[in-house]
Amino acid sequence: MNTNLKVSNVTKIYPGCIANDNVSLEFESGKIYALLGENGAGKSTLVKILSGVIIPDQGDIFLNKNILKLNSPLDAKKNDIGMVFQHFNLFETLSVFENLIIDSDEKKENLREKIELIMKKYNFLINLDVPVLNLSAGQKQKVEIIRCLIRNPKVLIMDEPTSVLTEQETSELFLSLKKFSEEGILIIYITHKLKEVMLLCDEVAVMRKGKLVSVSEIKNENIETLAKKMVGQNLKTIKKKKVETSSDQLIKITNLNFISEDPFETNLNNINFSVNRGECLGIAGISGNGQSELFQILSGEIISDKKSIEFNKNYIGDLNPQERREYLMAFSPEDRLEQAAVPQMKIFENVALNNFKSSNFFKNGLINENKIKEHAKKIISDFNVNTDNIELKSQFLSGGNLQKLIIGRELITSPDLLICFNPTWGLDIGAINYIHETLIKINEQDKSIILISTDTDELLKLSDKISVIHKGKLSKIMNADEVTSEKLGVLMGGGEID
Amino acid sequence: MIFDINFVGLIIASIMASAVPLILASCGELITERSGVLNLGVEGMMIIGAISGFALMTVTGSLFIAVIGAMLGGVLISTIFAFLTQTLITNHVATGLALTIFGIGISAMIGKNFVGIPGKEFPVLFKSLKDTIPFLSPILFGHSIVFYFAFALPFFTNYFLKKTKIGLIVRAVGDSPESASNQGINVKLVRYSCILYGGAMCGLAGAYLSMIYTPQWIENMTGGRGWIALALVVFSTWNPIKILIGAMIFGGLTIIQFHMQAIGVRIPVQFLTALPYIVTIVVLVVISRDSRKIRLSTPSSLGKSFYKDN
Repeated sequence: MNTNLKVSNVTKIYPGCIANDNVSLEFESGKIYALLGENGAGKSTLVKILSGVIIPDQGDIFLNKNILKLNSPLDAKKNDIGMVFQHFNLFETLSVFENLIIDSDEKKENLREKIELIMKKYNFLINLDVPVLNLSAGQKQKVEIIRCLIRNPKVLIMDEPTSVLTEQETSELFLSLKKFSEEGILIIYITHKLKEVMLLCDEVAVMRKGKLVSVSEIKNENIETLAKKMVGQNLKTIKKKKVETSSDQLIKITNLNFISEDPFETNLNNINFSVNRGECLGIAGISGNGQSELFQILSGEIISDKKSIEFNKNYIGDLNPQERREYLMAFSPEDRLEQAAVPQMKIFENVALNNFKSSNFFKNGLINENKIKEHAKKIISDFNVNTDNIELKSQFLSGGNLQKLIIGRELITSPDLLICFNPTWGLDIGAINYIHETLIKINEQDKSIILISTDTDELLKLSDKISVIHKGKLSKIMNADEVTSEKLGVLMGGGEID
Repeated sequence: MIFDINFVGLIIASIMASAVPLILASCGELITERSGVLNLGVEGMMIIGAISGFALMTVTGSLFIAVIGAMLGGVLISTIFAFLTQTLITNHVATGLALTIFGIGISAMIGKNFVGIPGKEFPVLFKSLKDTIPFLSPILFGHSIVFYFAFALPFFTNYFLKKTKIGLIVRAVGDSPESASNQGINVKLVRYSCILYGGAMCGLAGAYLSMIYTPQWIENMTGGRGWIALALVVFSTWNPIKILIGAMIFGGLTIIQFHMQAIGVRIPVQFLTALPYIVTIVVLVVISRDSRKIRLSTPSSLGKSFYKDN
């Protein structure tokens, strides 16, 4: 049976922002639709409206010409609309089966049988009786997909599904999605990755700043035309100049081990690497393979064996982050709003946080506000932070501006080594380009970078050497020009390359 | 003194009796906390239960009405907590503390007229079997219905959480209210229900104190048992069976240290009085050391307010 889903004049206004401005779209089953746009373009709001999580201020939704009133996620479920959220909606401490049975009315045995049939059909391999927190991101996503499939959905919405997947997992997902589409499920695929749209979808709708910009067939588009529609301007491509790096070793990690008692954390197993001056070492991997533990050990949030980290000919493994900064290391953690900045504190207060020892900022236990404010203004203008109000609480900065502020705060002390963890995660293209340019610039100034990232394109663009972390183990360190994203994908999935 | 096996049985029975209010209140609070709500008002809800039960018993003369009324009293005061924390999104900790202060105050006010009135005898079950088996009889027979209910409750609670659909939903809400809400679960309803259930159990625990354990009304008669119940929940890592163990240890040491004081053991009284608190917590910490299991049974959203933004 054919499914027709229609969105008609949907508007959703938040204080200070129009998330969806009079959006109208029509979808037909048998095709895979892409909903393309940058962060904050309004795609997520639109699909949350379709799944009943958000109620629109105006506008209607029609399924097969019948008007749908979606006041809660239950209404969407009842009308056979399934959605896989960007941030998984799973209960980490419950088992996979418990996660699946919770919103099902079927008997345990019947449901188990049904799930096993689905897994067989689409080649999913998941142990139903382990807690979800033991699964990889790819497996968690499959659990989410199974949850939708149990209800025989007419519409399946995928919100940025590949942000946590490896190359291999992504192609597996695409195969499954194509199969679903052939079976008559209408698929709406939300993304900001242009490559994926070209690979997977039949039609594409582009959104920008809450408005629908265009609807077109993929065969009439290419990556450049789509990028232009998405960003609203031509994109410049940046590339790192290949320079001869010195052989002057800056940091050396030897036999680093970490064993955690926390089941949510990953153990690190015999990590060894070194970084020379002016070099960028990229560490690739799917999230949850030990990156955050590695970052915390490198930054001193977790103390390790004194001799395991040698920086500038000093052993610093047992120093805390503050002491490490004195040796000219700088850190940009993954979670900008929780780890890097204090959300409720003002911009100028936040920039003083990595610099407690500065006698300029603090004298006799008092805060020298004027000096700090001057410093904050300098960072804001040097690093292109788009605000002139240093009294603003940092939680109100956009992700891009906050990241610029943090990178600026770290770099203004001109450190020898910057360690950053997913520095462009969740940012829009403009901000990503700016961060990338900045990182390239500091390499050119003979300063080093350790870049831990889940974005392989970013790593290939910025790194001189690349290694992959998988289940707490580091692969061999390769020269970036010998590496392809396919090779990285194999290593990220735990495979071997020659 | 000849070591009489029946005497040991009697001591064990008295230990169990002193554990009853702790088990009831802890099992109630456990369900509340498993849904992600931290209600520090256990002491307040217990004392409201104690005065409601005693007052209703004196006024109506009916034990049944009094017990039900005590539970409703607990429900009523926990409704205030539920309304504040779930509807008005106030802070769980501050609201819970206020609830305890409020409960103690209002119970003292109502209780003024009931001081010195003797309680009624509460009927016991299996009284005729009391002398049949040595040692076991005093443990098994001749207790109030609340006693038997309390010792069954941890097992029911365990079964409820692990095997039933509603138990699963409670755990899911405690794990991630956002995910639960996106799955169409009414988080507020679940949390309201869990808070009210916790209130009912605390009310019953209070009624046990004022109507069965020491049948009279004394101001502030819960004497910190609510706080112990709260500690039991946390240190048992939200496991009802371990609550039972913890409550027994606590009750046991309380009774034994009384006897030791009576015999005149030369240990400072303050130390003896503190002993049950220290030992209970140490034992529970030791038996719940598996960090993996702690992570799996700790409600991740405990104490965090949840509100839906549309």
